[in-house]
Order: sequence, then C-alpha cells, then structure tokens
Amino acid sequence: MRRSLTPLVVTLAVLAFFYLPVAVLVGNSFNASRFGGEWSGFTLNWYRRLLAAPEIWHALGNTLAIALVATAGSTVLGTTAAFALDRYRSRLQDAHYLLVYAPLVIPEILLGISLLLFFVALRVQLGYPTIVVAHVTFCVSYVAMVVLGRLQDFDWALVEAAQDLGADAWTAGRRVVLPLLAPGIAAGALLAFTLSVDDFVITFFVAGPGTTTLPLRIYSMIKHGSPPLINALSTLLLTLTTTAVWLSQRLLKEAR
Amino acid sequence: MAEARGLLEPRHEPWITLPSFVWLIVLFTVPAAIVFAIAFKPSDPYGGIGAGWTLQTLRSLGDPNYPAILWRTIWLSVATTALCLVLATPTAYFMARTPERWRHLLLLAIIVPFWTSFLVRIFAWKVVLHPEGLLKRALVALHVVPPEASLLYNAGAVLLVLVYTELPFAILPIYAAAEKFDFKLLEAARDLGAGPLRTFWTVFLPGIRRGLLTATLVTLIPALGSYVVPDLVGGPTSEMLGNKIAQRTFSDRNLPHASALSALLALAVLVPSAAAIALERGRRARQRAEAA
Amino acid sequence: MTFLAPKDGLSIACDNFVILEDSKPAALTHEFIRFRHGPAVAAEDAKHTKIRDRSRLRLLVPRPYGHYIGQSHSVRRLRRRPRAPHAVSDFIQFEDVSRHYGSVRAVDKVSLGIGKGEFFSLLGPSGCGKTTLLRMLAGFERPDTGRVLLDGQDITDLPPERRKVNTIFQNYALFPHLSVRQNIAFGPTVARRPRREVDDEVEKMLALIQMRDHAEKRIDQISGGQKQRVAIARALINKPAVLLLDEPLAALDLKLRQRMLIELDMVHDQVGITFIFVTHDQGEAMSLADRVAVMNEGRIEQLGRPVEIYEAPQTSFVSAFIGDSNFFEGVVAEVVDAEHVRLSIDSFQDLYAFNDKGLHQGERVYLSVRPEKIRISRDRPLEGRDHNTTRAVVDDVIYLGTHTRFWLRAGEYRLAVEQQHNRFVLDDLPIRWQDEVWLQWHVDDGYMLERYAERDEALMSFPPQRVGEGDAPAESPADGRG
Repeated sequence: MRRSLTPLVVTLAVLAFFYLPVAVLVGNSFNASRFGGEWSGFTLNWYRRLLAAPEIWHALGNTLAIALVATAGSTVLGTTAAFALDRYRSRLQDAHYLLVYAPLVIPEILLGISLLLFFVALRVQLGYPTIVVAHVTFCVSYVAMVVLGRLQDFDWALVEAAQDLGADAWTAGRRVVLPLLAPGIAAGALLAFTLSVDDFVITFFVAGPGTTTLPLRIYSMIKHGSPPLINALSTLLLTLTTTAVWLSQRLLKEAR
Repeated sequence: MAEARGLLEPRHEPWITLPSFVWLIVLFTVPAAIVFAIAFKPSDPYGGIGAGWTLQTLRSLGDPNYPAILWRTIWLSVATTALCLVLATPTAYFMARTPERWRHLLLLAIIVPFWTSFLVRIFAWKVVLHPEGLLKRALVALHVVPPEASLLYNAGAVLLVLVYTELPFAILPIYAAAEKFDFKLLEAARDLGAGPLRTFWTVFLPGIRRGLLTATLVTLIPALGSYVVPDLVGGPTSEMLGNKIAQRTFSDRNLPHASALSALLALAVLVPSAAAIALERGRRARQRAEAA
Repeated sequence: MTFLAPKDGLSIACDNFVILEDSKPAALTHEFIRFRHGPAVAAEDAKHTKIRDRSRLRLLVPRPYGHYIGQSHSVRRLRRRPRAPHAVSDFIQFEDVSRHYGSVRAVDKVSLGIGKGEFFSLLGPSGCGKTTLLRMLAGFERPDTGRVLLDGQDITDLPPERRKVNTIFQNYALFPHLSVRQNIAFGPTVARRPRREVDDEVEKMLALIQMRDHAEKRIDQISGGQKQRVAIARALINKPAVLLLDEPLAALDLKLRQRMLIELDMVHDQVGITFIFVTHDQGEAMSLADRVAVMNEGRIEQLGRPVEIYEAPQTSFVSAFIGDSNFFEGVVAEVVDAEHVRLSIDSFQDLYAFNDKGLHQGERVYLSVRPEKIRISRDRPLEGRDHNTTRAVVDDVIYLGTHTRFWLRAGEYRLAVEQQHNRFVLDDLPIRWQDEVWLQWHVDDGYMLERYAERDEALMSFPPQRVGEGDAPAESPADGRG
C-alpha cells in the first residue's frame, strides 16, 4: 500500500511553523540591530546588558521562590488527592474528581479574576502570598492528574506482596509505594514548577502593586519595548530548560 | 478490587481526601460563586464593590459593543480550533506511523519550542510580524502584500498566534489516540475496497474520535478565554472577551462589570464542554443499548 | 485405576493406598477400617485387624503401583462415595467461611481442612471463589462469617504480615525497583534480622534457585521462569508454614509451564511444607496435587484426590469442567440385580449402568461417560451383558497425534469419543466423516451423577453445530473474583 505524502508534508510544515519564531528570536539575540529587521552583525551586547539589569534578576528570584513554595504545596495536595481518587470509589470522590478536574478546563483568566474577586471580597492584601496561593490552586490539579496516571499503572499486588513478606502498612508504604511512585510525583512536581514559573495571566490578576515576577517583568518589557533584552533572556531560558530536561532524561535512563 | 489492609483503608478516606477537597472548595468553587454574585452588585467610584444588589451591570451587557466582541471571540476560537485540528491530525498520524525510535524524537521536536515562556513565544511572533521584520519584507518583495499593509494588530495576527500557541495541545491528545490505533484496520479497509480518503474518513477518524474530542476542548476553551494574545498582537478591532475583562478590572476598575463579562465567558465555555460530555454520554448509552 | 481385593490376609506391600468405605453404615463397624497414619502404618494395621468378610475390604492403589487383581464386580466398590476429608486434614481449617461482594457470594459457607505437608489444589473457573479463599488465608481478605485456623490458632483477624503464610502471586508481584537479591532479602530485612544472617540466607536461596549469576539483575531483565524462581525464593526464605500459589504458571508459555510444574513439585518434595495451589487449569491441578477441591460459584463441588475427581465426578459441573464427558438423561427402567440397572433413555435401547446410588425403578438418572472410555469401531463388536453397544454417525474427526477425537450423532445425542493410538495408525482404514460406526463401553464405566445442570455442558469443547453458533459469548461468572 503506497502511503500518502500529505501527512509528511503537513508535519514538516508544522515543525517549520513551530521553529520559525524561535529561530528568529535566538538569531536576533545575537543581532546587533535593535529591531531585528536585518542582520547588522554578531554581538553579545544584549547579554551583557541583560546581566547588568538587576530588576530582571530580582524578578527571577521572586519567580523561583514563589515556584518553590507553590510546588511544595501543590505536590503534597495533588499527591494526596491522586491517592484518594485512585483508591476510593464513593460520592465524595465523584465530587472530588470534578473539583480537581474543573480548574484544568477553565480558562486561566476566569481563575485569575475569580481569585482576585475572592481576595478583594475578603479584603486580603494582594502580594506574594496571594500569588503563591493562586499558583497552588491551579497546580494541584496538574499534579493530581500526573500522579493519578502513574497510580493507575501501579500494581497494588506489590503492596500485598510486601505485607505478605512481613512488612506492616508503614513499611510497605516506605519501601514499595514511595520508591515506585517517586518518579511520578517528581514529574508532577516538575510540571507544577514549570507552570508556576511560566504563569502570567493568573499572576497578573492577583499580584499586588509592588510585586513583580519574571513573566510580569517580561510583559512590561514587551509592552514598553526593550526587545533585544527579551531575545537574550529567552535564549538563555530556552538553553537552560533544554539542558535541564535533557539531563533529567539522561539520569532517568541511567537509573533504569 | 482488593484492598490492602492497613494501607489506605476505607476509614482513611476523609483524611486523605479533605486537604485537596477543602482547598479547592475554598479557592476554586467559592471564588467562582463570588464572580456570579458580584455581577449583581453595583460598583463604587473607588474601584471597589458597592452595597446592595442591582441588575444594572447585566443590562449594560446589552450595549451593542458586546455582542460584536462575543461574536468575534467565538469565531476566532472556532477558527483556531478548526485550523489546529486540520494541522494536528495529519501530524499525529505521521508521528504514530513513524518507527518508535524516531517517534520519540519527533515528539520531543514538537514539545521543545514550548519550553520557552508563553509570553516569549508571542513576543517572537511580534518580532516576525513586525513592520520592519523578515516576513513582512519577504512578502512585500514577493508582492503578496502591499508595502503599507500591517501584519500585526489585526484579527489575522491573533488567529495565527492563537494557532501557534494551541497547536501542540491539539497534537498531543490526537497523537495519543493515534498511537493506540490499530493501523491494520486501514489495510483491512483498503483490502475491502475503500479508497485512501474514504478509509481516512470512515476508519481512521472514528478510531481516534476521543482524541479529536479532547483536542477540540483543550484548544477551544483556552482560545475562548485568551487574553494575552489579542492584547499583544491584536488591535482595537480584534479585541476578545478576555481583553474586556482585563480592561474592566485594571483600567476602569469596574469589578462588577468584569464579573458579568466573566460569567458570560464561563457560559461560553460551559456550552461546548457540556455538549462534548453529552455527545460522549449519548454515544455510550447508544452503544450499551445496541449491545443489550 | 486399579485396586486390590485381598482374599486371605494382607500381605501386599505397597507404598500408597487407601481403603474405601462401604455405603451402609451398619456394615461400617465390622467390615471397614479407616487407616489414619499413612500407607506404611496402614498396611501394618490391616495385617493385625480381624476382618470378618474380607471380600468387602477394598484397597485402592494408584496406577503405577498396582495391578488389576480381583474380579470385575469388585471394581464397583471403589466408586462409593469419595472419602470424607482426611481425619489428619486439620493443619489449615476453614470453618463455615463466607465472603460477599455486594450481592455476589464469592465464597459461600465453605468448610475445608488441609493437612500438614499436603500439596492441595483449589480448582475452578474464574470467579468461582478460589482466589478469595486463598486471600482469606493469606490475610488480604476478611471473611464475613466463619473462621480461619492455622495449626489450631485462629488467624481470622491476624494481618497478613503476621501470618506464617507466604504467597506466590499471580504475576509474581516482584518489586520492580529492587534487584533479584533485594527482592529475596525483602522479608528478612523488614523483619530486622541481622544483616550478615540475611546475606547468608539470600546467598543460599540464590544457590538453590541457581540464580547466583543473576543476583544483581533487575526484575525486568530476567525471564518468566526465573521470575517464578525468585518469587519462590522470596517466599521460602521466610520459612512459612504454608505456601500459597495463586495461578503461578498463568504468565508462562506452554513449554515453560510444563517445566515449572515439575520444578514446583520438586520444591514441594524438598521443603515439605503445605502448598496450596490455585488454578483454573485442570491439568496443573491434577498433575501436582495430593488432593483437589473443585470450586464453583463460591462452593466446593467436590473434594478428593485427582483420580477420584476424574473417575467419580459427583456433579455434571465437575464432570464437564475436568475433562470432557457425555451425559445421558433417563429413568431406571428395571433393577436388574443388586448392582445393575437397566435405563430407559431416549434414542437408545437398553443401556445398563452400575447402580452405586441404590436407585429404584422409575427414578431419574444422569449418567456420565468419559470420551476415552468409549470404544469406536467400524465392525460390530461382540455384545454382552457387560457392555453397552450402540450405533452412531460420525460428525467430525480431529486427529491429534496421540489420539483422535470423534464427534458423533446417536439419535438426538451428540457424543464425544476419544481413541488412543497405541498401534501404527497408518495400517488401519481410518474412520471418516459421515461413516456409520459402533460405539461400546463397559457397563461399569458409566458413572451416575448426584446433580446435573444443563448449562454445565457449555464447559465442554463440542464443536458448534452451525457456523456462528460458537460465537455467542459463553455465560461465565463475572471475572475478578476467581
């Protein structure tokens, strides 16, 4: 049977579509021209300028701190939620599932505005704590879904085997469940971390007057123009994430 | 189902359910209810919420400005979803038919560009579509567009960038479904005399329908609620509901108005979701009825 | 099946026999002895016991040991009601145990005793309750009612980790994140035994299962057979009193399954502890077990040694689930003599059967005849009072190497017949489709059932009568409990 060429052509086009803007961005980060319309020579100037922009590094620090706290919180809540959803079948879990699932299918802007109104109604001062709480709220669902997926592949007979061999519930949990689910929980945490670091819309709504995070900073840079700095910053971030993911994949492979 | 004694027994259910349950009730359900409630409140001149109840805000949604924006939001989202499905299906098909080794690389290639920040991706298009940018120059040189045309700040740009940001989310579920699809079925259909197109329509697409349904929802819903894309690459004539919500919140500081618009958006999202669920339920019920 | 009918004193030395009881309670006190202490003692006991009527004493000797001695009428005695559970079968006791899932009775008032060192098998289709019974012994399920006793101690409420019982799980449930060595060491490690002691014992176990070279491998790097060995070692290192095996061979392919079957038997001989083996495969159960409990719908249908179960099935379920069978339904037309009845069965004239149930004229009879007990021939066989002879037309022939299977039609009955090939087959004129043939079986080879249900016939491997007939989903109890 001869296969049609259409899928191949579409795939190549899609890949070109995906990479075109990224390539332009990376290229421009080394382009001496300020608006990137044409190539006016290689430069590392933008990177130097970036290093000398303390407000960006300050914002990055805030973002990472928020992400760490939000990841910790959402990982705990999401993992317990996943265990509950996997182990029990009840009305409570039906409602629970709906609650966990809903934030995934609601546009971010609705989450943002509803949290803003909630905080306003409670007269809570907007600031870093409100950002953390908001991030935990939408990350819980992602963590829960990732861990739940792993749990569905988990063979509970292993727990029985451990108990059969003399392990009490606590020992079975520590020696069998935890090590086997650790990669799933780590994957959920990693996802939560990336989502938190990258989140703009929800943060935008619940951020207070003086608060700043990296996405908020980038947004204002886009709005009030210093394009080459963004190019350099994104190239840097892209390199970082790519290396991190590549490294973690390598580590996972070796662990196996 | 076997229950391991000692570990997660039925009596442990509340303890392990309540943390996430309570958190989401307080920070998801309650705020959502507040959105609907505040839509019936008057605004006060200091950007807060006034006392008493009113239908004034809802009435002001009748302003002819809003139906136009709602309509634009819907058609841009539907067009985005349609384009995403059209591009994602052949891509997913191709990926699923690639030998395993290459498949993972291909999957990675699809995901990598999306490791950059969401804002940066949109910004990259702003650079590409910039009046002084590469694309504009190329198109002008090829006489595709006149030199005075703008590639940015119109509905076309919004659509393009929406497709760009949503496409991977359409590819992934369709790919997941296509990967499980038994491609022998295509050969069987051809063997039984169906042409390639007919086979694609009557065997492949129904085989991955769950993936298509998921892809539709995960592109349509965020598109309906999109705010950043029209904000950065759109102009006044390509505003969507999200923009209006943000405007009412931040520029005019009219929270009741923002609430009313949000409620409208929520409805716009609920309708297709409910339709999808109903579709799936009806289908399952029919199958059960047929089986019985 | 052979047996001995001793005439004058017991002087036969054989290493494995039992004595069957007469059905009449009155006779029991005098003519029958039950031996309780194994074959050697039993032989000794028999010598010193005064037996008034030796002709009524029957010793049953499994095939490899005995020869066919005695007259033909004495054959019948061994078909008396299969023995009650061993008097010594009290090492493990299920007392009136039930387990319900909603309205489904997974285990329904089961009482069962299993002896120390016995290789015991629970056999039945999926959903029959055998696994639930096993899991109650392991401690993973609590019975709704009843008690479970191990060595006289009530363990019903004891958690699994505190029972001297270990399990070989269905897919072995080896820990994927641990090496072969760490898997085996799991039990002693969580029991906090001294490190050096654990290392020594693991080393011994690795040697026993011949896996020293693979000790550091991960579980997904070893073969199915090796996995089973690791599972066995992981369980036995804890020195359990009972080893439970939950369909341990199901994950293996046919050849490997046969090899591991022999290995299991050898392990049992070596360690000498009680094995309880759950399976839906009659071949596995029959070849390994000392005794088998056939389960169906949460109850024990029949309990006995494999040979008793096969030769003397009490119900149509047992008869059809273990091997194939031909069922005849009719009424007693005439009580011919003390031991025989003439049956009236539609489509057949004058079928005789051995009347071990003491039936009277006019009573309903369900007769089961195994396919291999029926002889098939082109030529009319010699007829006699000892044999039932009938004509039939061949519907289907399947040649299977060691034997040939025939499906035939006799009146409104469809019959299965198996012909063993212990001669060079090519010299014979083969029986073909549509041939008219003669069937004959010994009157004593039909066995009367106590219970019959028509749906049990669906358990057998008759070919469909029409194209598509076999496609209908077989009515089977819900999966997941079995």
